[in-house]
Amino acid sequence: MELQRIAYALDAELICGPDDWEKINIETVFASDLMSDVLMSDRDEMLMVTSLSTEQSIRSAGIVGSEAIVIANDKTVTEGMIELAKDQDIALFCTRHPKFESCVRLGRIMEV
Amino acid sequence: MSEEHKQPLQSSLRVQELIYGLRISEVMTSKVFAVSRNCTMRDVQTIMKNNSITGVPVVDSKRVVGIVTMNDLMNALEQGAMEQNVTRWMVGEVQTLAEDMPLSFAISAFGKFSFRQFPVVNKKNELTGILTFRNINHALIRELSRQLRQMEQQSEQPVEPASLNLSKVYQLHRYDFENGGKASSEIKKFLKERGVPPKLVRRVAVASYELEINLVAHSIGGMLGFDINENRVKISSHDRGPGIEDTEKALTQGYSTANEWIRSQGFGAGMGLPNVKRVSDEFAIESAVGMGTMVQSIIYLKSEKENENQ
Repeated sequence: MELQRIAYALDAELICGPDDWEKINIETVFASDLMSDVLMSDRDEMLMVTSLSTEQSIRSAGIVGSEAIVIANDKTVTEGMIELAKDQDIALFCTRHPKFESCVRLGRIMEV
Repeated sequence: MSEEHKQPLQSSLRVQELIYGLRISEVMTSKVFAVSRNCTMRDVQTIMKNNSITGVPVVDSKRVVGIVTMNDLMNALEQGAMEQNVTRWMVGEVQTLAEDMPLSFAISAFGKFSFRQFPVVNKKNELTGILTFRNINHALIRELSRQLRQMEQQSEQPVEPASLNLSKVYQLHRYDFENGGKASSEIKKFLKERGVPPKLVRRVAVASYELEINLVAHSIGGMLGFDINENRVKISSHDRGPGIEDTEKALTQGYSTANEWIRSQGFGAGMGLPNVKRVSDEFAIESAVGMGTMVQSIIYLKSEKENENQ
């Protein structure tokens, strides 16, 4: 599924991202505020949803191969996070919806 | 700052990392002068004088039961008690070091205790050597000259841009979460640019990142070293303490000593070390309370079969 559709469904605002971010294909999602759990994952997690707004969220997402990250619950995104996301070519989004609500919305559009 | 200016710092960090990784047995003086319980302070004085040493362990069937230092000798001299038994003047309850401990633990011990030398014992608790500051200085000088020679050789050979050879050391400070992760990002980039398969890059990134987080979250500070060649990535983490009481427990999933603040950063779920072990082909941990922890993780870049064929 194209990232553009996901962004629309989550009412997500793009903070930074590569030029063609709309077309990025997302097939797997990982939602967690516990970076230790994220790092235990074995597959490529193309999209990460988290309400932990720290630089470590971006780093952890980068390690598990995420191409996009959505910060839920209207959390403030710091300059350092934006720098890191740019450096790793990760599209960074923010949404006002809480994490559970975001996951429900994602579930609805990703279910075939 | 240009790369040129950064280099001395990197090489000094490397020397530090290298000597941290040495075993105490490689550095200690193995020729030890020791006395038995029934020797006199006069005997100790003679030994110290003839061999220019400042401390003599007291042993009972090879086990260390005390140590007589220059200080004890002076006290006995003052009291005119040089013919008395060493047991009356020695310091009992001696802090010993195990010979297979990494040298970094000994360096912490010198910082923690005010002793000028430590008797070194083997697994059977028998005296096998003695470690002084002088031993550490010698090791430092040896590694410095080795490093210098290596740098000279490297500057003669042009570096191939695609080469997988890399040695790099990062210093990490307590609670510096902002910089925890920098090392793994850099190493990840380095491997990716050289065409290492993404799955392997990820395992290296996970191991080094978890170790970085451990250093900033749990230690009072330490260093993370990378030694990479075309066959494998070796990651070593050394810290100065506080040390892990039960390493077995620390390797149990879900066991954690993290405080609230660490947890608020998304860590401290007790998955760090088990996760490093999970992604490593070879894994080793050593720790001593009050002295530090050393973790080593090796990840093969070629499958074992390929290694065997070479």
